[in-house]
Amino acid sequence: MATIAAPQHRSSKTESYVDNKRKEDVRHANIIAARSVANAVRTSLGPKGMDKMISTSSNEVIITNDGATILNKMKVLQPAAKMLVELSKSQDSAAGDGTTTVVVIAGALLEKCLLLLSHGIHPTVVSDSLHKASVKAVDVLTAMAVPVELSDRDSLVKSASTSLNSKVVSQYSSLLAPLAVDSVLSVVDPAQPEMVDLRDVKIVKKLGGTVDDTELVNGLVFDKKVSHAAGGPTRMENAKIAVIQFQISPPKTDIEQSIVVSDYAQMDRILKEERSYILGMIKKIKATGCNVLLIQKSILRDAVTDLSLHYLAKAKILVIKDVERDEIEFIIKTLNCLPIANIEHFRAEKLGYADLVEEVSLGDGKIVKISGIKDMGKTTTVLVRGSNLLVLDEAERSLHDALCVVRCLVAKRFLIAGGGAPEIELSRQLGAWAKVLHGMEGYCIRAFAEALEVVPYTLAENAGLNPIAIVTELRNRHANGEINTGINVRKGQITNILEENVVQPLLVSTSAITLATECVRMILKIDDIVTVR
Amino acid sequence: MAIDRIFKDEASEEKGERARMSSFVGAMAIADLVKTTLGPKGMDKILQSTGRGREVTVTNDGATILKSLHIDNPAAKVLVDISKVQDDEVGDGTTSVVVLAGELLREAEKLVAAKIHPMTIIAGFRMAVECARNALLEKVVDNKGDTEKFRSDLMNIARTTLSSKILSQDKEHFAKLAVDAVMRLKGSTNLESIQIIKKPGGSLIDSFLDEGFILDKKIGIGQPKRIEKAKILVANTAMDTDKVKIYGARVRVDSMAKVAEIEGAEKDKMREKVEKIIGHGINCFVNRQLIYNFPEELFADAGVLAIEHADFDGIERLALVTGGEIASTFDNPESVKLGHCDLIEEIMIGEDKLIKFSGVAMGQACTIVLRGASHHVLDEAERSLHDALCVLSQTVNDSRVLLGGGWPEMVMAKEVDALARKTPGKKSLAMEAFSRALLAIPTIIADNAGLDSAELISQLRAEHQTEGCTAGIDVISGSVGDMAERGICEAFKVKNAVLLSATEAAEMILRVDEIITCAPRRREDRM
Repeated sequence: MATIAAPQHRSSKTESYVDNKRKEDVRHANIIAARSVANAVRTSLGPKGMDKMISTSSNEVIITNDGATILNKMKVLQPAAKMLVELSKSQDSAAGDGTTTVVVIAGALLEKCLLLLSHGIHPTVVSDSLHKASVKAVDVLTAMAVPVELSDRDSLVKSASTSLNSKVVSQYSSLLAPLAVDSVLSVVDPAQPEMVDLRDVKIVKKLGGTVDDTELVNGLVFDKKVSHAAGGPTRMENAKIAVIQFQISPPKTDIEQSIVVSDYAQMDRILKEERSYILGMIKKIKATGCNVLLIQKSILRDAVTDLSLHYLAKAKILVIKDVERDEIEFIIKTLNCLPIANIEHFRAEKLGYADLVEEVSLGDGKIVKISGIKDMGKTTTVLVRGSNLLVLDEAERSLHDALCVVRCLVAKRFLIAGGGAPEIELSRQLGAWAKVLHGMEGYCIRAFAEALEVVPYTLAENAGLNPIAIVTELRNRHANGEINTGINVRKGQITNILEENVVQPLLVSTSAITLATECVRMILKIDDIVTVR
Repeated sequence: MAIDRIFKDEASEEKGERARMSSFVGAMAIADLVKTTLGPKGMDKILQSTGRGREVTVTNDGATILKSLHIDNPAAKVLVDISKVQDDEVGDGTTSVVVLAGELLREAEKLVAAKIHPMTIIAGFRMAVECARNALLEKVVDNKGDTEKFRSDLMNIARTTLSSKILSQDKEHFAKLAVDAVMRLKGSTNLESIQIIKKPGGSLIDSFLDEGFILDKKIGIGQPKRIEKAKILVANTAMDTDKVKIYGARVRVDSMAKVAEIEGAEKDKMREKVEKIIGHGINCFVNRQLIYNFPEELFADAGVLAIEHADFDGIERLALVTGGEIASTFDNPESVKLGHCDLIEEIMIGEDKLIKFSGVAMGQACTIVLRGASHHVLDEAERSLHDALCVLSQTVNDSRVLLGGGWPEMVMAKEVDALARKTPGKKSLAMEAFSRALLAIPTIIADNAGLDSAELISQLRAEHQTEGCTAGIDVISGSVGDMAERGICEAFKVKNAVLLSATEAAEMILRVDEIITCAPRRREDRM
C-alpha cells in the first residue's frame, strides 16, 4: 500500500487501508463537507433571507444574496464540497434562479442519506430510489403547474418579482420586474419563440443615482464618453453611424519600418504628409455623410490620435472610441449596420441610422445614448444605477436572475406557486407514494419526501417564524387539499400563495430537484478519494 | 560482504522472496483499489489532482483511475499498463483485466507459499487459459448473418457496458445512440468520424445524435448564416500580411507617404490572398488561424461564410468528413480538394450557437451532443460513451457474443476445474487456483452490490452443472437469473482480451525474482 500516495483527507482513526471502514469514512467525510457548504448558504434563502459579505483575496468586498455567487467566491477545497459549488453553477446556467434552493435541497438530501446509510442500506439502492423519487417529483410538479401565455404580462411580472423579492433590491421589485419582462420579451425572436439569447440583453452599470433610476433604454447605451478633443460635437440629430474596425492614425506597417530623416526640411514635410494622410481619410468618411463614428479598440496601434480627433471634430463628426471587439456584434445587430474594416470600403450603405446620439451626464460620469434607431435589431439595453458599487453589482446580479426567470417562462410556459408550497405538496405526495412501495425503496423515498420539507422550514426560520408550527400547519392544509397554500413571509402566516402573486417558473423548481438529486447520487457513489498527478 | 558495492550509490536490489513479495503486494493493492468500481453497482472514485487548480474528476472507469495514479511499484505499473492496452485495444473491461490479474496473483502467492515453483504455476496457468478460451469459444453465439438479431445483440452489449457507468439510468437512450452511431460507420473501427460535443446544461436524457458535423464556432459578422450546397475550403493559413520572416528585416523610408504606400501594399496582399481564396469557387472558408477584421469584411462582401480560429482537431475532422484537404497555399485552385456538404446552418444548443454541416460527403460521420448537469457529469458521460462505442465498433467486426453477469467466468471455471481433475501433477493445483481466481469476479460484482456473495456463487455453481445453463448474477434483483432472458451480453473480444492479458501480466510478475532499482539521477537544487 505504501506505493499509492496517501489521500490527503484521511481520517485520523484509520491509518492504513482497512477494507470497508475507510470507505464508510470517505463517504461520511464527503457528506459532512458537502452539508457544511449547504448550511453556509441556508440563511440566505427566501425573501427574508440574509446577505453574506464576502471579502475576496484581493480585498474586494462583495455583498450578495445570490447562492451561486456566494459559493463561487467561497474557494472550497474539499472535492465533494466543490461538487456542490458546481451544482449551484449548473442551476445558474440551466434556470438562472434557485441557486440557493438547489444547494439547500442537496444538503437536506445528504443529511437523510447519512441516516439511511447508517441503517446499512447499500448506497446504490439509495441512489436508485432517489432517482425514481426525483422523476416522480417532476411529474407531481408538472401536474401542479399553471400554464401561462407570453401575452399575459402580469403573470410574468409576478414571477420576476418573486425572484427579486429575496434580493437586496427587493424594494425596487415593482420597477425591476416589469423591466426584466419587457427586455426579455422584446428580444424574443418570432422565428424561434422558445429560444432567448440573454446576450441580446445588455446590462450597463453606472454608479450614481439610486436603483430607482434604472431604466430600459430603447436603443443603445455606451458607458463611455464622447471624445471631447478639440470641441467635437456631443449631440447629433439624424445620426448616420459607422462602426469602423480600422484606425484613423498615421500608417503603420506590419513589417518593421523606420523613417530616415536627414534634415529639418524633410521633417517638416513628413509632418505635413501625416496631416494630409489623415485629412484624406476623414474627407472620405465625411463624403458618405457619416456623422457618428464608433471606433474599435486596437491593440497594435492607436485607434485615433489627437490629430485625427481634431480633424474629426472640425468635420463635425461625433466620435466614440475604444469599442471592444466582442461588443461589435451586439452593436451592429442593434444598429442594423455593417462593420467597416477598411477606409476603401467606407460606403453609405454600410451605415446605421438613428434619430439622436447624445452624451448624457449621469452622476459623476457620462454615457452616450443612441435612440430612435432605424430598423433596430432585436436587442435591448438596460441601464442599471446604484448609489454604491456593492449595490450596483448586486442589482445587476438580481436583474440577471430576474431575466433568467422570464427566460425560463419563455422556454417552458408554466408557472408554479412559490413560498414552499410545491415542496410541501411534493413531500406529501411522495410520502403517500412511499407507503405503497415495497422494501428499501419505500424507505428511501420517504426520506426524500422528508428532506424536501427543508425548503419551507428554512423559509420560515429565516423569516423569524416558528418553523415547526408553520411546517406542520402547511402539511395539515395540504392534506386537506389546499395545494396552493404556502408561507406568506411578508404577512408571517400561511395563505393561498397563488392569490398572493408569489409564483415562479416551473423550470426553476424541476431543475432544482433533478440537479440536486443528480449531485447527491454522484456523491453517494463515491467510495474513495485518490490523489493523482 | 566483500562485494556489496556492485551497484552505484543508492541503487538498491531486492531478491528472491522479498522481491516477489513486493510485486505481489503492489499488484494486489492496485487491484483492490479499482475492485470496488466493478459491476453495475460499482462505486465511483474522486480523483483529486495535486497540480494547480486541484481539479476534481469523478469516475468509474478503471483505465482513467489507473492512468492518473502516482505509482512507484514496478509490478503495479505492469497492471496499469495492461489496463491501458485493454483500453486501446477493445476500450472496455479495463477494470476487469486488472482485477483478474490481481486475483491470479493472490492465488499464486498462496501456491508459492506452499513451495510450488513459480514455473510450475505458470505452466498450469497456461494450460488453464487455453482450456478456458476453448470453453468460451464453444459457447459463443454469432448472429452476423441475421441483421435483426445482430442489432439486438449490439443493443444488449451497449446496455450491459453502460449499466456500470454513470449513464445507467438512461442506458436505453444511450445504447440506441451508440448503436446508431456505430452502425453508420459500416464496419470501420475509426471512431474519428464520431464527434462528441459536450455542452453543460439540460440533463443527460437531452443528449442526441445528429448526422453531420457540428463545429463549436461562430460565423463571422455580416456573413450568410445558412448556405445550401456548400463548397468548403479548409485551410491553415495566416490571414494577416505575409511577413518577411528574417529576423531584423525592416523597411527604411524617408516619407510618410511611403509608409502609407507600404501599408496599402500590405492590405493589397491580404486582399489578393482573399481573392485567390474566393477564386476557388467556394462559399465557405474555414481557417485554423485568426481571420482579421479586414479579410472578414472582404469575405462578407463576397457572400462567403468564413469561420476563424477553428481548433486543430476541428479542422482535421472537418476536412475528413467533408472530403476536403487542408490547404495552406492558394496558387493552384485545381490541385486543392474542396469539401462539400448539403447545408451549413447555425443551430442553438443550450445557450450557445454552433455551426452544423449536414449532408457531408463522408456519410458515416455523425455527432453526439452530450448534455448534462455539470462538467463532472459530462466528462464521465463522455468516457462511458467512448467505452461503449469502442466495444460496439469491435463487435461489428468480430460479432461473436457471450452472455454477461459472471456467466463466462462460471463456464470457464467449470471447464478448468474439470481439466484440473484430469491432470496429474502439481500443475493441477495451479489450475484449481486459476478457476478460483475466475470465480472471484462474480464474487466481487455481488459484493459491490451488497449481496451475499458466498450464497449466490454457490447457487450459481450448482446451476452451471446442468448443460446449456444461462444463469448469471442479476444484480438488480439480487438473485441468480437467466442472462439470456435479461439480455445481458458481452463481446467475446473483450472477454478474450481480459483473459489473455490478465494471465500474461500475472505470469510476467510471477517470473520476477529480483528487483533492481536504479538510483534516480540527482537534481541540482536550484531553489
